[in-house]
Amino acid sequence: MKYLFVALLGLVLGAALAGAMLYFNPFSTTAATQPNASDRVLHYSLPDDVLEFALGADARLFGQEPGDDGLWEETIDRSAVLGLTLKDDADQPVAIASRLMTVSADTDLLLRGVLLSDHWLVTIPGEGTLFVRADSNAWPFLKQTLVPAWYLERPWQGPASYWPTIGPGSDEAGIVLGVAGGLRGREGSAVERYELTALDPARRSALAEGELHLALPGPQVAAQE
Amino acid sequence: MKTVLAIAVLLGFGATLAGGYFVPGIEHARLPSLTSVVANGGRSEQFVIRLPADRLAATDGEAGGLRAQRGEGAMLLPAKLMAEPVLVEHFKIRDAGGNVVGIAARHWDGNASGATTTWALLIPSRGAAVLSASGESRGVLEASLRGRGYAAGRAWDGEVELMVTRPEAPGVLTAGTQEFASLSGAYLETWTVAGVDEDGELRGTIVLDTVTWFPQASEPE
Repeated sequence: MKYLFVALLGLVLGAALAGAMLYFNPFSTTAATQPNASDRVLHYSLPDDVLEFALGADARLFGQEPGDDGLWEETIDRSAVLGLTLKDDADQPVAIASRLMTVSADTDLLLRGVLLSDHWLVTIPGEGTLFVRADSNAWPFLKQTLVPAWYLERPWQGPASYWPTIGPGSDEAGIVLGVAGGLRGREGSAVERYELTALDPARRSALAEGELHLALPGPQVAAQE
Repeated sequence: MKTVLAIAVLLGFGATLAGGYFVPGIEHARLPSLTSVVANGGRSEQFVIRLPADRLAATDGEAGGLRAQRGEGAMLLPAKLMAEPVLVEHFKIRDAGGNVVGIAARHWDGNASGATTTWALLIPSRGAAVLSASGESRGVLEASLRGRGYAAGRAWDGEVELMVTRPEAPGVLTAGTQEFASLSGAYLETWTVAGVDEDGELRGTIVLDTVTWFPQASEPE
């Protein structure tokens, strides 16, 4: 009995040590190289610029109700669809984006973090359509904000800024492809940044400002408006 | 006693790290792919969308016509984009057996240099595919329906089949990830409308017939 108790104590102690190591693990908080000032930046505000948000039943971090159009089927229950209006630097709407997201099977708390596979389809009227493929690491946000402030009800230390993109392109940036219209055939990189500006767990509300930095060679996209 | 403690600590430590590395239970559910091999090589697969059940949302812009969504669930565009010739739709997608396997976004852009249609299909267990084609003409669905007796504001039943992409100019697989990476492909999009209710909601199906192949293989005819 004594040995069993010691063994259990040892298991719990070992698991706690490893848990602490995973929680403070620096390998799982990597981010893409910050983009150049010359990149085109498309902006969005949450929730103001959200056109639609359909969320998988097993992907609810904030305890949202899935609603009638929720993604409840087991093949898509860890996925989400987000429709966004994107704005230019002058705060004028210039594009419509669809984001198809899913929890990545490459998630690895030891070396990479909690990964989301993020697929953007961005149509800029008059210019064309872009496809952006990005791996986003949600672990820094979960660790620094969601777990302590939302679930442990500690005071929020915000605002907080995140650069979640960690691949799959070079410099750990996302990949952009022009797939239609005048942008067809162009290739480049993309990095997302968002700043959580307000968080109120009691009212279940959060405000954020997001940016999609696009680096695409060629005059049409590189030019700032 | 100390040996037992040390072994238990190591076991707990190792098992937790292994759990953090492998993160069990995160794989997406996968259904068997309903594909067939086409005569000249390549793999044929059909994706189906049932309307209105599988439509998650659509923008409410003027260009969308009957396919634009109004009222509850519509994606309400800001005033500056309302008049732009753009229609964005979000769907669930099914395999040929009718099982939901993924989610999709369709962007139609009726720009002056030629309309385009782009699909992004995401099947979480298999990856994403981006399909591009010349876009249909603005209002083509409404014109086809009117040709079969449909009048705005009235319920209509019947059947209209509209080939949005034509066999002589199929759409192409433009990009892909995971299973769809490194593949070439072509697709045809067909709309079949079986009814329109008084509010303009469509009943019917959208079918995407895809053929994919490895580029080094001979291109299927």
